[in-house]
Amino acid sequence: MSAVDFSDPATIAFLAAALQAAGVDGIEIEQPARKVRIVVERDAPGAAPLVQTLQTSPGATQLEAVTAPMAGIFDANHPDSPAPSSEPPREVGAGETLGFIRVGSVLLPVKASRPGMLTGRVAKDGAVVGYGDPLFEIELRP
Amino acid sequence: MIEIVDAGPFNTIQDLGRPGYRNIGVTASGAMDPLALKIANLLVGNDEGDAAIEVQTFPFRLRFREATVFAVTGGGDATLDGVALPPWWMQTAGAGQCLELRPSPSARAYIAFGGGVDVPPVMGSRSTSLRGAFGGIDGRFLKKDDTLRLGEPAGTLPVDGLGAVPPAKALAAFFPNAPDGTLLIRALPAGEHDLFGADAERFWSQSWKISSQSDRTGYRLSGEPVRAPASVEMRSYGIVPGVVQVPPGGEPIVQMSDANTAGGYPKIAGVVEADLWRLGQARIGSRLRFVRSSHAEARTLDRALADYVEDVRNTSQMVARALKTIAGR
Repeated sequence: MSAVDFSDPATIAFLAAALQAAGVDGIEIEQPARKVRIVVERDAPGAAPLVQTLQTSPGATQLEAVTAPMAGIFDANHPDSPAPSSEPPREVGAGETLGFIRVGSVLLPVKASRPGMLTGRVAKDGAVVGYGDPLFEIELRP
Repeated sequence: MIEIVDAGPFNTIQDLGRPGYRNIGVTASGAMDPLALKIANLLVGNDEGDAAIEVQTFPFRLRFREATVFAVTGGGDATLDGVALPPWWMQTAGAGQCLELRPSPSARAYIAFGGGVDVPPVMGSRSTSLRGAFGGIDGRFLKKDDTLRLGEPAGTLPVDGLGAVPPAKALAAFFPNAPDGTLLIRALPAGEHDLFGADAERFWSQSWKISSQSDRTGYRLSGEPVRAPASVEMRSYGIVPGVVQVPPGGEPIVQMSDANTAGGYPKIAGVVEADLWRLGQARIGSRLRFVRSSHAEARTLDRALADYVEDVRNTSQMVARALKTIAGR
């Protein structure tokens, strides 16, 4: 995996501004050899957008985003859990619960679909997320 | 069908009890934490009052003979084949899987199953009356090698893994604790409150310890005794859970789910019904303080509890429908 800044900052700034103006949280652009992801900080308009270029060329490690199963409020920890879950990077198993989506008084699990190395957290605790929003990144085992 | 693999004493089948027969001396019984029982049932798609297992002696182990939707609420650290479940959680177990509950800070756990525990109802309830020796399985507590039949699941939620925000968190604004962890229990002064004179104030101001002589029938509290200046002679009167009586020794008794139907000790206070579930989860040795409440506050708490139960009922069904729609795309 290589998480580097997108090559042309002007392009990123333009895209980020367009996303913000349209009220969109993020975008993923897929090209034959790579995938570019831009996530805008909705609550902090001035903040720099999160930009990732994901290499998907053959041979490279595969990254998979763990996405929200439903719209709601994201939290990596159960409301009753006193200890924060261990931060990435860490090994996770298939089906392991990585966090929760709260809808009213109901909690839905966010699960890793495949085993791998949890390398990143995209969403912050307490963030309002939509269906399919990326929450975590997992580097799949080859 | 489920099979009890390992159980200490006093774990019983309970629903919301049989409250309509106190006039003929029948104890109501029912879950010590009716809120946890309701939520466990709603999470598996049952009616809120279906019969479940109340676990108050840990560890407790059971095995599922076939794929079964279940939920664990209240206390108890639950694992399914060794994998930890979040608190207040519903899951589907596969045939042969083993559910284990270990002790947690809350005293009692409730395990509900899709379809409910199917034992013959007695006087409209499946609750076990240990002292009456009827209800549940022959009126006794569960033991190793018992097998329980389950009812036909009605509206089982088609999701694998779903939980409720525990009420202590979801309703924290309505159910506060003291900063040192002392449980604050709202109560109203009862009939003989004023006969205790100056001692009545000490009933409210001191923190009481839940003594080891506490069970589903009642909690005996220990602390500095409160006594009436003159002895109080009373005729027997009807008792419901939450009535706080003071025997001659001066240490109060709070009547709980298996309360006697009548008694004669002077009653100093009555715990508001909306706080009984918290008392049901208080462990022996822990401390509580009574807080003077009002009818208006009691009604507010009742409404907060009802809203929470309704939210879990409606939202869990809504979420399940949405997930089904998403999966079908």
